[in-house]
Amino acid sequence: MQNSIEVVAEDRDTYYMNMGPQHPSTHGVLRLKLHLEGETILSAEPFIGYGHRAHEKMAENRDYLQFLPNTSRVDYLSGMIYNLAYCQAVEKMMAIEVPERAEYIRIIAAELNRISSHLLWMGTFLLDLGGITPFLYGFDDREKILDILDSITGSRLTYCYGRFGGVTMDVDEIFVAKTAEFCEYFRGRLDDFQRLVIGNVIFQERTKGVGVFDPELIQHYALSGPCLRAMGFARDVRKDEPYGIYERFDFEVQLGQRGDCFDRSTVRMGEMQQSLDIIEQALKELPDGPIMAAKVPKRIRPPEGDHHFAVESARGRFQHYIVSDGSDIPVRHKLSTPSFVNISTMPQVMPGTMLADAVAILGSIDIVVPEIDR
Amino acid sequence: MVHNLTQILGNPLLALAAAIAAIMGYLTVNAMMLIWLERKFSARIQRRLGPTEHGPFGLLQSVADMGKLLSKELLTPDHVHKPLYLLAPVLVFSPVIALCSLFPISESWVFHDFNIALVLLLAISNVTIVGIFFAGWGSNNKYALLGAVRSVAQNISYEIPLILSVIPIVLMTRSLSLYQISAAQDVFPFILVQPLAALIFLIAATAETNRAPFDIPEAESELIAGFHTEYSGMRFALFFFAEYSNMVIVCALAAVLFLGGWHGPLLPGWLWFMIKVYGLIILMMWFRWTFPRLRFDQLMSFAWIVLVPLSILNLLLTIVVIKLI
Amino acid sequence: MELLRQIFAGASTLLTGMRVTLEHFMRPPVTSEYPRERLEMSEAYRNVIVLIEKDDIKSHDCIACSACERVCPSFCIKLDGARPEGLKRMRVTEFTVDFALCSECGLCLDVCPTDTLGYSRSYDEAGFNRSDFLYDLVEPWRAEEETTVERLRKVENEKAEAKKLAAAKKAAAASEKAADPAEEKDA
Repeated sequence: MQNSIEVVAEDRDTYYMNMGPQHPSTHGVLRLKLHLEGETILSAEPFIGYGHRAHEKMAENRDYLQFLPNTSRVDYLSGMIYNLAYCQAVEKMMAIEVPERAEYIRIIAAELNRISSHLLWMGTFLLDLGGITPFLYGFDDREKILDILDSITGSRLTYCYGRFGGVTMDVDEIFVAKTAEFCEYFRGRLDDFQRLVIGNVIFQERTKGVGVFDPELIQHYALSGPCLRAMGFARDVRKDEPYGIYERFDFEVQLGQRGDCFDRSTVRMGEMQQSLDIIEQALKELPDGPIMAAKVPKRIRPPEGDHHFAVESARGRFQHYIVSDGSDIPVRHKLSTPSFVNISTMPQVMPGTMLADAVAILGSIDIVVPEIDR
Repeated sequence: MVHNLTQILGNPLLALAAAIAAIMGYLTVNAMMLIWLERKFSARIQRRLGPTEHGPFGLLQSVADMGKLLSKELLTPDHVHKPLYLLAPVLVFSPVIALCSLFPISESWVFHDFNIALVLLLAISNVTIVGIFFAGWGSNNKYALLGAVRSVAQNISYEIPLILSVIPIVLMTRSLSLYQISAAQDVFPFILVQPLAALIFLIAATAETNRAPFDIPEAESELIAGFHTEYSGMRFALFFFAEYSNMVIVCALAAVLFLGGWHGPLLPGWLWFMIKVYGLIILMMWFRWTFPRLRFDQLMSFAWIVLVPLSILNLLLTIVVIKLI
Repeated sequence: MELLRQIFAGASTLLTGMRVTLEHFMRPPVTSEYPRERLEMSEAYRNVIVLIEKDDIKSHDCIACSACERVCPSFCIKLDGARPEGLKRMRVTEFTVDFALCSECGLCLDVCPTDTLGYSRSYDEAGFNRSDFLYDLVEPWRAEEETTVERLRKVENEKAEAKKLAAAKKAAAASEKAADPAEEKDA
């Protein structure tokens, strides 16, 4: 995997290097132009756009129902969360009431998706650091989640499960039993991961004090999600701007102290634990009833003006911003994704660190490049 | 009674040729076996299957890989420094053959019983470091150079705890001959009296062979592909072979120095030797698939701040105890 | 002293990690050796859409209304239909799905008025050209189309007869009612 370099003639001690679009550690097609002196990074500049697929333009050419399959593909790791977020955004615009059972099912599916996204993050982060085994363990657990979600949605990664007014397919007793079994099994696995990964002295040496996010960053960047919570700020969209029925659930917002890679890792491991709690509560309280609203308008024509709706995805605060002129095709549909903000902080965070740390920092902020480029 | 190959075959040159052929044959088969073992072992740790298609249990997978590497074009890039570039794989691989001849495999089988075998071993094994540096420098590639520089620094730093942990054994047996050291462990293996030295030796040996968690020079997921970036086909295979052969050598050294060489109940001596060597190799593989990688400066500080003081401490303790006894 | 304590603590975490991998070494592998072993797909699994049989008709019930063609976000459905002789319902004659474009969103299933679209469960669709993925959904039903249309014609005729009979009865009852009070009035 050759990366191209150009030596700057006037400055013999420094050189430019591309952590090019094709690289095992950039989690997608991202180009980081690094200015290095020996092994220390002087500046880091991300170049995005290699994965641009024009989702926002597609939204301007399709009506609201036809945009549903696009929503999962924006961030394929939190596909369920994004899909349900869009459904909830349209329901808020059109004032559609969602039945209770559908709300509970949505919460269970979204939290399972959050766990699977964090498992993949953990696997790839450790892969960048050199420990190859937790990747396989994480994917084994992820298979179980994907099988569970497959049994109700029919898809494994990109779901088109939500509809305006509810969800497509109902859950049955087998699903409830399998999910409860998974929750019990996964608590033991979190213990395993704690022993193998978080408690490991080499992991701690590689991540403690590395890539510290200065609290001053929040003045300039709209940080959210685990990156912000690792700095000690308790901000979670599920608590601050509750949507769905999240107010009924009892969970804690995980906080870190210094905002380094280690804190981000422990915040995410804690979030997996909290998601298990939410799922178990939802399974206990799952009511009977319909899964689709009784009256759903055939044509979605939202009122004129600006509408927005935010959810907490696995990476941070994801917001739909829809500008409508009263017709069934939106004028502008903006997707504000958290990875876009997180990658923008790299020019502030990376200078001064070593080359090996750059890989660790990129892994710890958990970016998904298709979400940056949309 | 030690068998002597020269006496058996009559001609010393013939004996030399036979020895080289035997060692080359063994190293080739050994490298294939170790590659297969590594893939199967790592697969089992990760709860998957590993190679299963070629041959029973995938045993012929290494043969297939060898065939692929042999059939690859030997590309020599234009910009390399030809003498160093071409010399490097030779320098990395040939000391290994010489080193393999120093080990006493069983009570009556040793290629040649040098009375300074230990010193020879440690000295010849440093030729591989020169080979690695030639590979990095001769490749005329910034990444290869950086990888080679890191590798050389790592190897040199970890030589010191390696040697310091071996010296107590020399003091105890008053001999530098590997055969004598093995023979001296007929009552108990030296690991029981020198556990700290054994541990330091194991760690330093893992670092010497560039295995995880010390595999920064050939880190797969970092920016630099390592000192063997510009090598492809059979030349890359030589580096690969050298790495696995080095593993056997350091584990054999550990078996001889600390685990008692060929001693053991019931089974024949050479079988015990093999069991010890391959047991240690499996331990090294276990390290690789469990731990993440150390960053380069942490690696160096671990050697200088932790291992060197501990090994000096161990040495002083041994001297004191020997003086008292 | 502090250094020694740190070294011990660090070493013990490493040993714990090794223990975890050893535990996993003892467990059986989770791989299933495809293609020798095939996994069962769940019942809800989505693959290419197919026309499914409706019990009352014993055939598919696609009336070529093109609702699925209009809703598809990937524009991968092409429909054509015709009204067979003597039948009031339309029957589809051509239904091509370009599976290379389909994103399996399920919107076509939702809007179908006769609920005759469903998912197939095969998962190893492979081809060498793009044209391999132009699926003709009517193909499996073409052989029986004649008999189906016959059956539907009969059903429609019977329904028409029954309707006529019911209408005649109603007319007769209404005229009887009209006649009766008139008689009473007379008397």
